Amino acid sequence: MGPVGGAGASGGVSVSERIRAERRFRPWFRSWRFYIMAAVTLAVYVYGWQVTQIKLPELWRGAHLIAPLVTALGSPDVAVRDNPVQQAAAPFDYGGETPPPSAPASGPAVRLSQSTGHAGQRVTATGQGFAPNRRGMLEWENQIGSRQELVPVATDGQGRFAATFDTPDVMGTRNTVFADIVSGVGPLRLSATFFVVLDRMVETVFLALMGTTMGVVFAVPLSFLGAKNLTAHIPGGRVVYGLTRTFFNVSRSIEALVLAIIFTIWVGLGPFAGVLALGVHSIASLGKLYSEAIESIEGGPIEAISATGASTLQILRYGVVPQIVPQFLAFTIYRWDINVRFSTVIGFVGGGGIGFILLQYINLLQWRQAATALWMIAIVVAALDYASAVARERLV
Amino acid sequence: MCLNRPGAAGGPPAEGVLVADPVLRVEHLTKVYPDGTRALSDVSFDVARGEFLVVIGLSGSGKSTLMRCINRLIEPSGGRILFQGRDVTAASRDQLREIRREIGMVFQQFNLVRRASVLTNVLTGRLGYTPPPWALANYFAAPVVDRAFANLERVGIPEKAYTRADALSGGQQQRVGIARALMQEPQLILADEPVASLDPAMSHSVLRYIEELNQKDGITVVCSLHFLSLARRYGTRILALKAGQIVFDGLPADIDETRFKAIYGDDALEVEIT
Repeated sequence: MGPVGGAGASGGVSVSERIRAERRFRPWFRSWRFYIMAAVTLAVYVYGWQVTQIKLPELWRGAHLIAPLVTALGSPDVAVRDNPVQQAAAPFDYGGETPPPSAPASGPAVRLSQSTGHAGQRVTATGQGFAPNRRGMLEWENQIGSRQELVPVATDGQGRFAATFDTPDVMGTRNTVFADIVSGVGPLRLSATFFVVLDRMVETVFLALMGTTMGVVFAVPLSFLGAKNLTAHIPGGRVVYGLTRTFFNVSRSIEALVLAIIFTIWVGLGPFAGVLALGVHSIASLGKLYSEAIESIEGGPIEAISATGASTLQILRYGVVPQIVPQFLAFTIYRWDINVRFSTVIGFVGGGGIGFILLQYINLLQWRQAATALWMIAIVVAALDYASAVARERLV
Repeated sequence: MCLNRPGAAGGPPAEGVLVADPVLRVEHLTKVYPDGTRALSDVSFDVARGEFLVVIGLSGSGKSTLMRCINRLIEPSGGRILFQGRDVTAASRDQLREIRREIGMVFQQFNLVRRASVLTNVLTGRLGYTPPPWALANYFAAPVVDRAFANLERVGIPEKAYTRADALSGGQQQRVGIARALMQEPQLILADEPVASLDPAMSHSVLRYIEELNQKDGITVVCSLHFLSLARRYGTRILALKAGQIVFDGLPADIDETRFKAIYGDDALEVEIT
């Protein structure tokens, strides 16, 4: 053969001309393949749209249903004030008996235009001796101590108010009307909801920690059996490798949520079921990542340490372990991070953690409490996400 | 000039020089890899105490395989290796460990544990003398640590003891490799292309350390090199391999133009490294 690329050197075509001739360039709109592909793609998406019941108008129609939750996100139940309250009471009986007159001569007092009657009457309440220019509420307490709100009230510059209300239809005869006027501004404190949510968040983080630990404890030894470079030298290594990798792949393919349902049947509702579900799932995912880390180690240092007359244990300690430990740690932190995120939903199926009360709050339409739980999840998960990213960056 | 090529008419068979009481004796060494590659065929030679034997040859001529067969990092397919009279090829696992700890090895890619400190890397040279369970606690006796510092001092980088190995330059890493080999108190040092990954200035610096060990401490050296100029400068004897066979065994001064072409091929030109 003559020199390559010498166009026209011996009357023939050049290499580039030949290659360009072999591959014919045709614009896309002239190719029938394009139209077939376009038709198939269109059919797939039309069917997908129908089968998943995508109805965009629902986003508008349902907006009022989600609105309470969205607005509650702006005022989660985190902090409350213990405001001092001035209280005064006046009796109101259904059934005609005249109750004993109310005694207090000084201090806050409330009087009703009548103190006996029946349900559905219009009554005027007047108050005096309260702190000036404050707001409060008139409340109705029935014979068994159950309260309901009547009307909001506000005091004037002299600490007086007047309000009318309709007597409510309640059981029993002896009722009391209370006037509660908020007389000052008390100190802020964290709400009871906050502590409930925090308690469950701690449970969630530890659920993830225990699940990850369970994963690590089993995945580390298994990963050595699932590494091709280590099992190649032992008798029956191919079989051990194949079995380990199959176990990893099969158990990884079962979602942790499904595992959680199975474990709640086995060990009952609660965080333990969640720990087991996350643990089993983590064994598989970590095992696979660890095995791949072991497979990627360099042979050079192992060769060098073997050459010094080191034993197998010493070769593992000084040749293998330093190469895999940073990667193992990075993968473990990453897994813990994933598990914290996942353990927030594992409560939905009864596996413990914050998801359990979040679901409760939503079912009871307690939007502000639900908002507290959502904020807690968002802040803790984001913080751990960031911390794990920083930690992994330092390790690898 | 006639080459000592096996089967070449008129020449003697390519047997290396035989000496009395050699440190290392290689007899009819053959290595065939599982894929059928014949890396070494019937290689025999002796290494006398105190020699600086340089093994030269093209890439793929079998230099690395020969080095690794000597301490059985690669299992030979046939032949026998005697180290100070002990049969390496027939040694049990425990015997092999005892033989290996007296043979230091220096590698082209340094083969340090990158994430470990320089000191730890040097200390691993002593593992053959350390009870294996101590490894679990990462424990080395105080005299061993003193010796590690002394050896780092000797290769001129004691201040790097607590630096991570991968933070060092190539030349420094190779000096750590030499310090690691020294921890073994070796009778023999196998250096497999110790300067092939280094620039020329560094090459001389590293080879001078090996030469010093050879001349001052009397450690026998078997060293493979690419550059003939380096082989001539440092070797007391040169062994040339071509396609797994010995094609020259003699003094550096005896390699002339004809022999050079026989070793490296007709197209080769000798380049100097200074």
